[in-house]
Amino acid sequence: MALRLPSKVLKHILSFIDSNEDRNSVSLVCKSWFETERKTRKRVFVGNCYAVTPAAVARRFPAMRSLTLKGKPHFADYNLVPDGWGGYACPWIESMAAKSPYLEEIRLKRMVVTDDCLERIAASFKNFKVLVLTSCEGFSTDGIAAIASTCRNLRVLELRECIVEDLGGDWLSYFPETSTSLVSLDFSCLDSEVKISDLERLVSRSPNLKSLKLNPAVTLDGLVSILRRAPQLTELGTGSFAAELKPEAFTKLSKAFSNCKQLQSLSGLWDVLPEYLPALYSVCPGLTSLNLSYATVRMPDLVELLRRCSKLQKLWVMDLIEDKGLEAVASYCKELRELRVFPSEPDLDATNIPVTEQGLVYVSKGCRKLESVLYFCVQFTNAALITIARKRPNLKCFRLCVIEPFAPDYKTNEPLDKGFKAIAEGCKDLRRLSVSGLLSDKAFKYIGKHAKKVRMLSIAFAGDSDLMLHHLLSGCESLKKLEIRDCPFGDTALLENAAKLETMRSLWMSSCFVSFGACKLLSQKMPRLNVEVIDEHPPKTRPESSPVERIYIYRTVAGPRMDTPEFVWTLHKNPEIGVSKLAIK
Amino acid sequence: MEFSNSCSSFSSSSLDSTKPSPSESSVNLSLSLTFPSTSPQREARQDWPPIKSRLRDTLKGRRLLRRRDDTSLFVKVYMEGVPIGRKLDLCAFSGYESLLENLSHMFDTPIICGKRDRKHHVLTYEDKDGDWMMVGDIPWDMFLETVRRLKITRPERY
Repeated sequence: MALRLPSKVLKHILSFIDSNEDRNSVSLVCKSWFETERKTRKRVFVGNCYAVTPAAVARRFPAMRSLTLKGKPHFADYNLVPDGWGGYACPWIESMAAKSPYLEEIRLKRMVVTDDCLERIAASFKNFKVLVLTSCEGFSTDGIAAIASTCRNLRVLELRECIVEDLGGDWLSYFPETSTSLVSLDFSCLDSEVKISDLERLVSRSPNLKSLKLNPAVTLDGLVSILRRAPQLTELGTGSFAAELKPEAFTKLSKAFSNCKQLQSLSGLWDVLPEYLPALYSVCPGLTSLNLSYATVRMPDLVELLRRCSKLQKLWVMDLIEDKGLEAVASYCKELRELRVFPSEPDLDATNIPVTEQGLVYVSKGCRKLESVLYFCVQFTNAALITIARKRPNLKCFRLCVIEPFAPDYKTNEPLDKGFKAIAEGCKDLRRLSVSGLLSDKAFKYIGKHAKKVRMLSIAFAGDSDLMLHHLLSGCESLKKLEIRDCPFGDTALLENAAKLETMRSLWMSSCFVSFGACKLLSQKMPRLNVEVIDEHPPKTRPESSPVERIYIYRTVAGPRMDTPEFVWTLHKNPEIGVSKLAIK
Repeated sequence: MEFSNSCSSFSSSSLDSTKPSPSESSVNLSLSLTFPSTSPQREARQDWPPIKSRLRDTLKGRRLLRRRDDTSLFVKVYMEGVPIGRKLDLCAFSGYESLLENLSHMFDTPIICGKRDRKHHVLTYEDKDGDWMMVGDIPWDMFLETVRRLKITRPERY
C-alpha cells in the first residue's frame, strides 16, 4: 500500500511544476492529487474557448491568476473563417469577474473582444497586471484607454497584430501620471499618431520598461527622443524608418541606439531605407532576435547588417534576402534557432524568384542549432528536403510553403513525397509540420508512419484520395491540431477515424470533399465532438451527398455552443434535418 | 448571405449534385481545387499564400513603390496584321508621350492613345486581369504596375 503524501508536502512539490502538460499529468494520478493540483494551479491555459465552459474553469481552479484563451481556428489568420464565426471573450470575462476577482493576467488569441469587455476587465480585477491580445478584433482605442486609466498596477499591455477601431492617439494620455509600473507596451498595430510628449512622459516615469513596440506613425525623431529616455530597453519595435533624415539627425539616431546596451530584440523597421541601417550597427552584436519582415531592404544591405549579428537566434526576413544572403546568414549567425522567410511578392504570377530551395539548404548546413523554419518559395526539390533532414535532425518545427500549388520537384518532376518522408523520418522531434507542393498518398503514409511527435499539421492542395487522411488520423499518435484546405479528402476517412478526433483539439477542413451527410452522421455518433459546418449555402437546401465548404470539428465538454451565426450549422441547432441515410462503412 | 471575405472563387460555390462523386475522382480536382496557372485572372487572392493580413496589405501597398526601382519591364508589342512582334522595355520611358514617340518610330507610323477611329493606329494594352484597355487613362506608374502586353490596332478595322 503506497504511503499517501500529506497534501502540504504535495503542494510544496507542485509549486515547482509550472508546465501545464505536467500538471495535467499530475491531476490524472488520483483524486487527491487532482484536488491538490487544481487548488494550486495559477496559470490556466485553454486552447479552445469552446472546449469547456468558463464556469467550469473558474470552479476547478480557484487560485487562478493567469488565463490564456484561444478562439478561432488558426486558418482564420488567412481569411478562411468568415467574420462572425465566434470566439467571444465576453462570457469568459463575465464569468471570471464574478468568480476569479484575483485574476492578474489575461492573454487572448484570435478572439473577439469588445470595448465593454475591456472596460469590464479594468473594473473587475483590482490587481490586474497583464493584458496580451494577439490577432484579436472587435474593440477600439476607447477600450484600451479604459485599461490604461483604471489598471493601477498594469505591467504589460500588448496588442499584437490586432484589428482595432482606431479613434485616435488619445488613449495613451489615459495612463495616469502616477502609473510607473509599465514593463511592456506594444501598440505597433495601431495606425493613429500618439502625442509624442505623452509617450516621452510615460517612458520617463517607467523605470521598469523593458519592451516597447511603437506604431508606424512614430517618426525617427520621436524614436530618438524615446530611446534617450529608455536606454534600458531589451526589446524595441521601431516606428517608421522611412523619413528623410538630415545628417545630424542620423548621428543622433546612431548615438541613441549605441546607448541601448541591453537591446536584444529589434522589430518594426517599417519601410526602412538602407542608408539608415548603419544606425543599427552598434546594437547588432547583442541582438538575439531580429524581425525584418516589414523591411524592404535588398540583399547587400541585409548582409551588411546580418554579418554583425553573431548572437542572432531568431531571424524573420523577406525573401529579398535571396539565396546569397541566406548563405551569409549560415556563415555569420551560428546561433540561429529560428528562421522565417516571407514572400515579398505574394501574387501567384510573380516571375521573380528571389529565394530557392538552396537558401534553406545553406542555412540548414551552417546553423547547427536551427530548430524552427517557416519558408516561402516558389518551388522545391526532394534532394533539398533530404539534405535538410539529414543536416538538421533536431528540427522541431518545419513549415514549408511552396507558393505554386501542386508544384512538383522542379528538377525531376516527381511529387515531393520522398523529401517529406525524409523530414518525417529524420526529424524525430518534429512537433509542427506544414507541407506543400505536389504530394501523393504516399507522402502521407510516410508522415503517418514516422511523424510520431507531430502535434500540429497543416496541409494545402495535396493528395490523391481519402487514404491520405486515413494515414494521418490513424498514424500520427501525437496529433492535436489538423488543418486541411483544398484536398480531396472525404467522408470515409473521417468516419472511420472518428474516435481519433476526441484525442485531438480540433480538425479544420475547407474546400475538401466532406459531405453534409457525413457531418450529420459524425455528429450523431460522437456527442463529445462539436461538428460545425460553416457554409454560405444552408445545408438544408442541398442534397446530403454534396460537399460542404468548411468543417470545424473539436472536442468539448461544454456541449454545443449557443452563439453560432447563421452560416454555421450544428446538429444541435437544426436537429429537424434528421438522421442521415448514409451507412457507416 | 454575404461573407465579408471572399473565399468564393476557390470554394465549391456551384454545388452541382451531378458532378462525379469525390471517391471516383482520383486526381480529378474538378470541384473546386483547380488552380488555373494559365488563366489571365490570377489576381491577388486573400487566402493564399498563407500570410497574415497585415503583411499582405503592406506588400500590396508597396508593390507600386518597388516597381519604380525595377530597372526593366519588357513587354511584347504587336501591331494588328503583323505576325512578328517586338519587345519593349517600358522602364526606359518617362511616360506615355515618350512611349508613343518611340513606338511610332519603331513601327514607322504615327500611333496615338485614345479612341479608335478610321484614321489612326491606336495603342491598347492588356492588363493583369486579362482585359484589353485604352492606353492613357491611368497614371504612368500604375500603368507600369498592370500592363502585360501592348497591341497597336489598325485604322480600317472598326
